[in-house]
Amino acid sequence: MATGVLEIRGLTKYFGGLRAIDDVNVSISKGELVGVIGPNGAGKTTFFNLITGFVVPDGGEVLVNGVDVAGWSPHRVVQEGVSRTFQITRMFSSLKVIENVIVALLARKGMGILSSSRAHVEEASAILERVGLHDKIGLLAGSLGQGDQRKLELARATATKPNVLLIDEPFSGLSLKEVEVLIPLIQKLNKEGLNIVIIEHKLRELMRLAKRVLVLNFGRLIADGTPEEITNDEEVVEAYLGKERGNFGAP
Amino acid sequence: MGKYVYFALALAMLLVAPMFIKSRVIIDLLILCNIYAIFLSSWDLVGGYTGQISFGHSLFIGGGAYTAGLLNYYFQVPPYVTIPLGGIVAAALALLIGVFALRVKGAYLALVTFAAAAVPVTLTAIFWEYSGGDDGLSGISPLSVDVVTRYYLSAALLVLCGGILIFITRSSYGLVLLSIRDNETASMAVGIDVRKYKVITFVISGFLAGIAGAFYCHNQLHVGPAELKPAFSVLVVLMAVAGGMGTIIGPMLSGYFLIFLNDWLRFSENYKMMIYTGVIVIILLVCPRGLYPAIASGIKRVVHK
Amino acid sequence: MGLLLDIVVYGAVQSGIYVLLSLGFSLTFGVAGIFNLAHGTFYMGAAYLFYSCMNSLGLGLSLSLVVSVTGMGLLALIIQKWFINPVIHSGISVMIITVAIANFLEQVVLCTYGPVDRNLNSFIDKKLLVLGTVSIDAQRMLALGVSIILLAVLYIFISKTKPGRAILAVAQDREGAIFVGIDPLKVFFLVIFIAAILAGIAGDFIAPTIGARPDMWLKPLTMCFAVVILGGLGSLTGTVLAALIIGYSEVIVSFALSSYMSELVPFVIILIVLAFKPSGLMPARQSQT
Repeated sequence: MATGVLEIRGLTKYFGGLRAIDDVNVSISKGELVGVIGPNGAGKTTFFNLITGFVVPDGGEVLVNGVDVAGWSPHRVVQEGVSRTFQITRMFSSLKVIENVIVALLARKGMGILSSSRAHVEEASAILERVGLHDKIGLLAGSLGQGDQRKLELARATATKPNVLLIDEPFSGLSLKEVEVLIPLIQKLNKEGLNIVIIEHKLRELMRLAKRVLVLNFGRLIADGTPEEITNDEEVVEAYLGKERGNFGAP
Repeated sequence: MGKYVYFALALAMLLVAPMFIKSRVIIDLLILCNIYAIFLSSWDLVGGYTGQISFGHSLFIGGGAYTAGLLNYYFQVPPYVTIPLGGIVAAALALLIGVFALRVKGAYLALVTFAAAAVPVTLTAIFWEYSGGDDGLSGISPLSVDVVTRYYLSAALLVLCGGILIFITRSSYGLVLLSIRDNETASMAVGIDVRKYKVITFVISGFLAGIAGAFYCHNQLHVGPAELKPAFSVLVVLMAVAGGMGTIIGPMLSGYFLIFLNDWLRFSENYKMMIYTGVIVIILLVCPRGLYPAIASGIKRVVHK
Repeated sequence: MGLLLDIVVYGAVQSGIYVLLSLGFSLTFGVAGIFNLAHGTFYMGAAYLFYSCMNSLGLGLSLSLVVSVTGMGLLALIIQKWFINPVIHSGISVMIITVAIANFLEQVVLCTYGPVDRNLNSFIDKKLLVLGTVSIDAQRMLALGVSIILLAVLYIFISKTKPGRAILAVAQDREGAIFVGIDPLKVFFLVIFIAAILAGIAGDFIAPTIGARPDMWLKPLTMCFAVVILGGLGSLTGTVLAALIIGYSEVIVSFALSSYMSELVPFVIILIVLAFKPSGLMPARQSQT
């Protein structure tokens, strides 16, 4: 039995009578960059919430390097190596950009509260430089534009030294130019060894990044394959467009 | 670097005050100011700085006061033992309450702590034979018969407690607290054990308040339910907010200002409290962020002209 | 058996008063999303205003009732307009300013009337025999009767009248309500007015049995808090159920142990809820994270 970096078995969640996530099974292997798509309300963000501890599952396992973190509180899941970003960016808006990253550093085990703050600043600066925000480190996070906020969220998430990074709709609300800056950044992070799972609605951009795509609909995983495979999958097309076949993934 | 100048100045003023002020009454007031400065700033650590508004501070202040009072009254335990013990008892209370209450957020926390604050007074009523009921316990040992000595003791306590608070808030720990206040979900998402930080901070705040409460008991030579009632918690919150939530310094300053105001209003015994509480309402309306931020930004504007 | 009946009747009276008091508090939260910590002041203020109307102004029972209760309604509108609305975006600021006002008004009352408890005369100075064996003040039964009637009136108002349904709409979905032309701010005024009226009536009817004190706004607040935490987020049925539970628990503890111990009931209930189910007795609509 292959154990990936992230193994999800029988993940289930009910909200009232509604099955938000219905018996989802996925295995993410080392080095993968996987996309997650699905119509609105399919349960994509709930899926992330269940993995990262923001919502408690009703059933199933979430194995991170063999450890079942299902139902753990978010900070413990982060300690175990899974970090996430949010669909609507959650900055520490009243803190400076560099402080946003420093907080993430402070949370790491072994990176004590009492250790030198100069070390914190140095490491945070390095991280911010990697995402291209080194010229904005002194600004208040709340004053950043959308594109920069996404970069900051990525920086913050990587500061926790995760094994797996879940990115929730990184391109939403961004201009074409901003998207073009973000794509190579995500690719770089993946090449450096970070396992990435991305939720996105912008299918064209997602297909450029992900060689494997999961499709959720009504909480169920209805397809799992390459972009070509899923664009031709009847059930997937039906989920997005009703019963008509149409141009899928094209403008 | 400018900040340190102000601290040094404040410390200097604190130290030399008795040399210039000969009136015993005013020195007594200054002692009270120092004590209240600790009451208010210790609340601010949790309320303003971490963003967790608690109406339960009377539990810690009163808890510390009654610990000292009971130990001293029945067992003649001296102040230098009762005061730290007062802090420890208050810290234990904070741990107990915090573990439950800090599960809930924002407004609900305020409600829960308010309800909790109503409990000890009922207990003093139930066990009136030991607690002295409404009259409390009198004849508590003084800290010193000399008012100037008492003043320096209170100043030392303020420097100690205030120092701890300022050190915490200026450190990385303080940054984490600010992140929790700013966006708790994001804090969790970067791996911060938010609940642990809240509880620990609550305990620290309770400890300092308890010490100050115990000190207060020995200063007043009396302990009674007045500092244990939810109404006192309300006053602490209002005085601290009027000073400036989240600034630590602001509540210290408003403590000074309001204690002196309260004393000055002595001329009108009947209307004193009405005017006093009315002034607080006005401050809250006119300077929603508190007196200290309002004055500080006012000074900045004048200096930059 | 006699004791059981005593509990049934006294519990009903206590719960009735609590329903009147907590409904308004819960409603303001459910509709406007704010905790008005001056809510207890309506209860206290009505009692004192009633006292003055009866004794200083000699207005007679009905008129005093109307004046005192309406006076609280007006106070509520003033508080909403000048103190709550400017900071309504921040729940914490609303709590702080309303508690500051409550604090101030307590001192106003203290200055005006002095620290001695004021005693009001019961409307009907008799003792009744209820359910065969229970001896109880007519005043308390009156209070119970009024609670039941007002609860029914409120229910009809909310479900059948246009303003009532507007209240429901804003409580359920503020954006949607705006969309269909309802002005939430007007609804907030209405809700706090109703809250004050209910609390004021509670104050008028129960003050004859317990006396009026300037600090009588604090204990009811603790009870309202327990009701909201037990009854869930502004759910009306939950509020009534929670008030019943708390009212009866207090009476039972009062009979079994002591009335001092019964003061601890709201807190103990909060503790139990926190320990087991922080989302309250009647959870509102399930929300996605």
